[in-house]
Amino acid sequence: MYKVLSKADLPRLIEKWMAQATVYAPLRQGDFTKFAPLNDPAQADLYYAANTRYPPKALFLPQSEVMFRAKDGEFESTEDEVSSRVILGIHSCDTRALQLLDGVFWAGDYQDPYWAKKRGQTTLVVLGCANPCATCFCTSVGSGPFDKRGADVMLIDIGDEYVADVRNEKGQALFDHLPDASQEQTDTSRQVQAAAAAKMEKPFESEGIEDKLYSLFDNDFWPKIQQSCLGCGVCTFLCPTCHCFDIVDEAQRSERVRNWDTCMFRIYSQEASGHNPRPTNTERTRQRIMHKYAYFVELYDEIGCTGCGRCVRYCPVDLDIRQIIRSAQAWEES
Amino acid sequence: MNDTWTPRIVVFQCQYSLYSEADQKWMDTQLPPHIKLIQVPCTGRISPLFVLNAIQGGTDGVLISGCLPEKCHFKEGNLGARRQLDEFRRFLTYLGMGEERMRFAWIDLSERGRIRQELADLEETIRATGPIKRLVTRAIPIGEQP
Amino acid sequence: MNQLTLAIRQEAARVLGKDIVDMVIGFEAGALPLKAQPAFITQKEEAEKLVYNGFCQNNLAAYLARRPKEERIGIICRGCESRAVRAMVIEHQHDRDKLYLIGVPCTGIIDWRKIERQVGENTLQAVEEGDEVIVTTRDGEYRFQRADVLHDSCKRCLHPNPVGADIVLGDPLPEGDPEQAWAPVLEFEALPPEERYAYFVQEAERCIRCYACREACPMCYCTECFVDCTTPRWAESMITPSGTQAWHIIRAFHQTGRCVSCGACERACPMDIKMTYLVDKLNYDMVQQYRFEVGASDEAQPPFAAFTLDDRNRFVR
Repeated sequence: MYKVLSKADLPRLIEKWMAQATVYAPLRQGDFTKFAPLNDPAQADLYYAANTRYPPKALFLPQSEVMFRAKDGEFESTEDEVSSRVILGIHSCDTRALQLLDGVFWAGDYQDPYWAKKRGQTTLVVLGCANPCATCFCTSVGSGPFDKRGADVMLIDIGDEYVADVRNEKGQALFDHLPDASQEQTDTSRQVQAAAAAKMEKPFESEGIEDKLYSLFDNDFWPKIQQSCLGCGVCTFLCPTCHCFDIVDEAQRSERVRNWDTCMFRIYSQEASGHNPRPTNTERTRQRIMHKYAYFVELYDEIGCTGCGRCVRYCPVDLDIRQIIRSAQAWEES
Repeated sequence: MNDTWTPRIVVFQCQYSLYSEADQKWMDTQLPPHIKLIQVPCTGRISPLFVLNAIQGGTDGVLISGCLPEKCHFKEGNLGARRQLDEFRRFLTYLGMGEERMRFAWIDLSERGRIRQELADLEETIRATGPIKRLVTRAIPIGEQP
Repeated sequence: MNQLTLAIRQEAARVLGKDIVDMVIGFEAGALPLKAQPAFITQKEEAEKLVYNGFCQNNLAAYLARRPKEERIGIICRGCESRAVRAMVIEHQHDRDKLYLIGVPCTGIIDWRKIERQVGENTLQAVEEGDEVIVTTRDGEYRFQRADVLHDSCKRCLHPNPVGADIVLGDPLPEGDPEQAWAPVLEFEALPPEERYAYFVQEAERCIRCYACREACPMCYCTECFVDCTTPRWAESMITPSGTQAWHIIRAFHQTGRCVSCGACERACPMDIKMTYLVDKLNYDMVQQYRFEVGASDEAQPPFAAFTLDDRNRFVR
């Protein structure tokens, strides 16, 4: 179902949503934007930055999440500390990432209640990218700037209006009352989508990457590419698909908490005995790349990277995963 | 904010601090409940982490008590401590802590009653300044933890 | 291609060819137009890929701790890198005999954030031409005065000339002005305490504990960082004011008398957090209290290690 919304009417629509739910949108913070709850529709800044630095996965898997408390000696769960939410302005890469993480947290026999409850109570109003960045590479990993998977509504910017592709009941609840898009508007929206994807270069070919990486496992390739890597956590923390966490009992807070963890830290895989199965940065870098482009494929039949480009933009030493994958594909035993 | 409020004070004391026997006995047995005594083998053991931990937990005043420069039981421990902790006080002050909240007392055996005087002075100063507000970030303040 | 790049390539090729070093650490062309990538070359033929320009934004000395101890390393050293090397040698972290410092007087690092703030996020190309930086984006060409887009630490740099280098390529540059360098510290100090604390809280709030600042810093080489200590928990890893403020305070404090004011920490931070105002104050105090500046001598111990009985008259009894 295609609806149309003029940009001038968006604040009023947001206000309507705010009566029933907490609305999150990118808010300006210094030189960048971050998803935060709106107090006022005017705060939403959908275009200042191409994307937020901090990924919206934090809205479903918070960087620090209290799992339960001990209150006066009694167990107090936090699972139901969720409320109705609308997330406006999330891009396809981040939405697709949430869908990939559903495979980890919300499928099969073991479901993560914290994740599931938040996902169930949240509606995603996705803003597709009409002008993808030079660092975006979603089209190389099986996605695209207007990938609708995981979206409850997909907004396509056609100038003064958005064409809203309403995908399901959750989306209908927010957009039903709006006028239908005209044929002309829908056609324009298709052109915008095609043009956006066509503009994007493909920095690497992902076909066969899983097998190629397995074949390079013991190869010289890994010690070479990891030399400049500092082993910090920027790539993993900004990544919308990274999801490792560490559970800690914080005694002086009387809380059990889970915090994001990163395979790039030495202590991530350090065992109590002192043994470390990933003792050097070579093993850790190999693990990171292969998790995204090999192990995830093996487990879920999907590449575990959505091409958002944050790791490329913010790596302190300008390491570029696109270059790494391209090198891997081209690597010949010499 | 005066009669109802008792300042929380922590004293880091080197265990060899040459207090007179009477003073040391008082420190070991008669400290009022709002003053916590932490003995260390040498002031050199006192890391800025200890002081920060106390401050973040809501301690209103910290006293560091050790030996005179020439009299360190471990020869030089107190010298290292002095430079580090002196700078740490300057640094916390730069970040907004009141300078009077951290105090040093390098005491000799012959200075009877000095430690009690230092504590009294510190407490009086803190009472006038009020409870610490900045840098207090611990979820459950020291003293209220189970 | 600038003269320094040429000179660096020649020297790197020479020391590798003559087996003076096993590896040369420098920079090569970046993946992104406003950056350069650290390069690690072991063959003289690879020297061709080395570059040197204002987009080389990492402190290469941070890599020394990551290389095997037996390796003989040639390293491109600007002012701050060479002082960090000196500091690390004094701290017994490296054998000076195994290092070959290729010194380069530095005109400062271009802050890509300052450029993006003005031209947006889609830079396609960036080149330096004399005192200008010419940036091409999807919208067209922009020109900047180099001086306007330097990283703040470079604007305040006191020592652009490398110290203790085995060879210096390029002409020496004038030393910086201490008054200008320390002015921000004094200005900050003059603010009322509530404002200072509020600024600290505001900056620390954004921290995501990625530790990029720590990893980018040449002086943070501890194999076990205090922040990972669980008994006791000095800085909880939760994203809370308690843990994060402790992280910033103590990391800065552990740099007292050791930090070379290169600003690599700020440049590494993905959340644009300001932190040099912390270490600059500590470095300033070391100058004031102990007349000590890291890297000024190849022997002087940092102040916290150099305590003496003469201190007796320095502190209040």
